[in-house]
Formats: sequence, C-alpha cells, structure tokens
Amino acid sequence: MRALDYALREAWASFRRGGRSTAFAVVAITLAALVLGSLLLITWNVDRLISRWTDATEFSVFLRDDATSEQRGALEALIDESGVSAGREYVSKAQALTRFRRQFADLASLTDDLGDNPFPASIEVRVRPVADADGRANGLVAKVMTLPGVVDVRYDREWIARLAGGLNGLRRVGLVLVLLMAVAASVTVAAVVRLSLFARREEIDIMRLVGSPTAFIRGPFVAEGLLQGGAGALAAVVLLWVGFVLVRSWAGGALTTLLDGSSLEFLPVGQLALLVATGMAVGAAGGFAGSRHAG
Amino acid sequence: MIETHHLSKLYTRGLYALRDLTLSVEKGEFVFLTGPSGAGKSTFLRLLLMQETPSEGEVFVNGHNLTRLRRREIPEYRRGIGFIFQDFKLIPTRTVFQNISFVMEVLGVPASHQRRRVFQVLKWVGLQHRINAYPKDLSGGEQQRIAIARALVNDPALVLADEPTGNLDPDLSLEIMNLLREVNAGGTTVVVATHDRELIRLVGRRTISLDQGRVVEVA
Repeated sequence: MRALDYALREAWASFRRGGRSTAFAVVAITLAALVLGSLLLITWNVDRLISRWTDATEFSVFLRDDATSEQRGALEALIDESGVSAGREYVSKAQALTRFRRQFADLASLTDDLGDNPFPASIEVRVRPVADADGRANGLVAKVMTLPGVVDVRYDREWIARLAGGLNGLRRVGLVLVLLMAVAASVTVAAVVRLSLFARREEIDIMRLVGSPTAFIRGPFVAEGLLQGGAGALAAVVLLWVGFVLVRSWAGGALTTLLDGSSLEFLPVGQLALLVATGMAVGAAGGFAGSRHAG
Repeated sequence: MIETHHLSKLYTRGLYALRDLTLSVEKGEFVFLTGPSGAGKSTFLRLLLMQETPSEGEVFVNGHNLTRLRRREIPEYRRGIGFIFQDFKLIPTRTVFQNISFVMEVLGVPASHQRRRVFQVLKWVGLQHRINAYPKDLSGGEQQRIAIARALVNDPALVLADEPTGNLDPDLSLEIMNLLREVNAGGTTVVVATHDRELIRLVGRRTISLDQGRVVEVA
C-alpha cells in the first residue's frame, strides 16, 4: 500500500509539472480512445437496431387476387402447425390500401385515380426468434412459396444478416485501427515517461543505491502512464458526448426514422468505464515499457 | 566486513581498473583507500555497491558473496550500506527533510518514524535548523553533512565515501572526517576513498594505497 501511495503521489506531481510532453501523451491517448469510443457508439446503436429487428422478424405472404378461401385456409393451417409463428394477421386488399394511405399521406391522392385497388391481400406472420435462428422459418417460407394462391413472400432476414455482417466487418476494421492507435499512444506515453525518467535520473540513482524495491522505482512511472491514459480517455468521453449531442441535434429526426422509431443512445456507463479503463491500461503499459531501464 | 580474493575488473580493450586485489577490512574498522586518479579507488567502491560486477575473483561484504548475488537480491544487500559522494548527490527539488526521509520512504518506513529519525540525524550533524532548506541554499559543507545524515538514516553496517571532501576546503574537510570518525565510533565500518594525503595523516587510520589497480602499500 505504501508503494502504491508513493507511486500515485509522485505520479500526480510529475503529471502536473509535465507540461507540453504530458499534454502530448494525453492527446495521443485521447485520439485512440476517441476512435475506440466512436466505434463502440456506432456498433452499440446498430446492434440495438439489429436486435430490435431480429426480435420483430416477420414475413408477409401476398395472396393472388383470385385466391380461394380454401387456399387461404390451407395456408393458414400450414403456418399454424409449423411452430414458426408467434402470431399472424390477415390484411385484406381494402386494409392494405387504407394502411398505405395512412402511412404515406402525401401519396394518398395517387390511389384516388386508380380504378381497382392494386394492393394484394396478405398474411403477416410474426416469427418466433428460435424458429428464425434454427432455420425453420426459412423452410416454411420456401414451402409457402409453392402453395397455390400465393403470389410472393417477403422475408427480410437476409437483409438483416447482411447488415450484421457489415457491422462485424466495420468492427474488425475499427478494432485494427484502434489497436494501431493504442500502440502509437502507448509508445508516445513511453517516450514521455522516458523524458520524465531522464529528468529524475539522480533521484532514481539514489533510490537504486539505497536498495529501494523496484515497485517504488518503477511504480511512479507506471502510475504516471495510468494518469495520462485516464485523462486522455476522459477527454475522449467528453468529446464523444459533445459530438453525439451535435449529431443528434443536426440529424436526429432523420436518424430516428432510419432507426425505426427509436432514437440514438449514448454509450451506457459500463462501456464508458471500459473505454476509460482501456485508456488507463494503454497508458500504464506505456509507463511500464518506458520505465524498464529504471528498475 | 569486506574481503576480496584476487579481484579484478577489466574494461574493454584490455584495460584493468583493478588487478588481482586481495584485501580485507574488519568489522568496525575505519579504512582509507588512497592513490592517484585512475588508481581504481572509485571502481572498488562501485564494485562494493554492486554498481559494477567483478571480471575475476571474489568479493565478500557483510556475509554476502557479491559474485553470486542475484539481481533481485541487490536492493536488500544495498540497504545495509550508506554511501557518500564527492558531489553530494542531493535532490535539488526536495528539502533537506525530504532528501533524508526519501530514503526511508522508499523502504516503506512509517511517516512518524521517518520524522523522528530525520530530526535525530540532523541534530547529530548539527543542521536541524536547516530542515526546510533546499540544497541550493546550503554551503558545500552543509550539503555534505546532509549527505552524511542521509547515509546514516537507515543505520547501515557499512559506510562508503568516495572523495567526500573533494569539493570542500581543509577546515570543512576535517569537520566531515570528524563526523565520519564519530560514525565509526558507533561501530559502523567506514571506507573512505580520498587522494588527500594530509587529511589521512591528520585522521591517522589504516590506509590502503592503490596504483594502476593494484595494492601498492598498506600502512
């Protein structure tokens, strides 16, 4: 505990008198943490959206205008017995037209000039998540397509899978970028710590000569890196918040529509803590590497 | 306390700083190590402090065989040694109190004991009134007395002094030597490297003379 207390006191004093070199290290960590934070923020919001869409997965079976009630009955029986459906709703041609007019009020007048109602009747099926995951839903969709009276089936699972795949790609590229920036930030901290080490070389010589434990000699430098990392990561959190607020105020409405009604959310406390902890770890690693000749 | 057997220190290009040195210093003894510049005095002290390692031979200090001491054992070994340098090696950004208490702090001594002990050693060197001064505000003699206080604060069994009076005038030099004699009177072994023959004559203790890394005289 004494070694820790000593390390933190010395690190704090060094951090305060560090001036430009300390600021340089903090900025390097801030940039790396900002990239990591942005990545977390984007994936957090897109993940929420995907999860929302996945939970609400459904497919629509469009019926031919001349489909008979027997054909519709057979179709509904197949859906009910498959174990895939969490519920279904029949939407008649008239209901489909009403829905269009309600959802696209600006285009409603276009339908007035149409003689016949062009919208097909459909059955909307809510898919159980388990059936979506194990592929049974896909099997049912393939079977339904072949039934008489069915004109088309729309199942948007593939699109969600593509979005999730894209997100994973973004996450991988982002992580590589974050890793490179973290290494660069760590090297910067190590260089700054070496400067600090040089400034305190007499002190360190004396510490070595009196038989000071390594924890006392290197501890302040590791703690200095830790402080630089923490300060940089906290600065990144503040910048991220400011950026988030600006984006939300400029493009909030459009994004809310894009995100299917749900608004953008800032990172939860757990992820923010992870971001700060990562910054501190990167700084401490730099401090540890920079002080390797001290102990 | 100190024993060397055929101790040699060879630098690159075949240059010997010490060559085939066999000597001993008894526990509680006060010994001068003298000789011209480049005789090997400082190298010998650096070997005793484990700042360097011997090229050949063996060194025993206070029961430790230094040639077999592992890297991680060095800090504990050094805790039994006090050191004094010609240039004092005080930390300019710390007060007198902090310069002395620092060596106790890094060994994990509780703060209350640090204060008591620092005041004790400062009183002993006669500088208790300078406790809050910075090194730049002290004279050379005062700085060396602070360095002696720092060397003694952890009650070492052995004190090594490398040209401790090199930067001081003759009166102050004698004053410092008298302090070291008092340290020795308390049972601490003292080894002083100096080229000041007059000082050695005034203090009058056993003297080991080195030249070109070899012992040339023991008087």
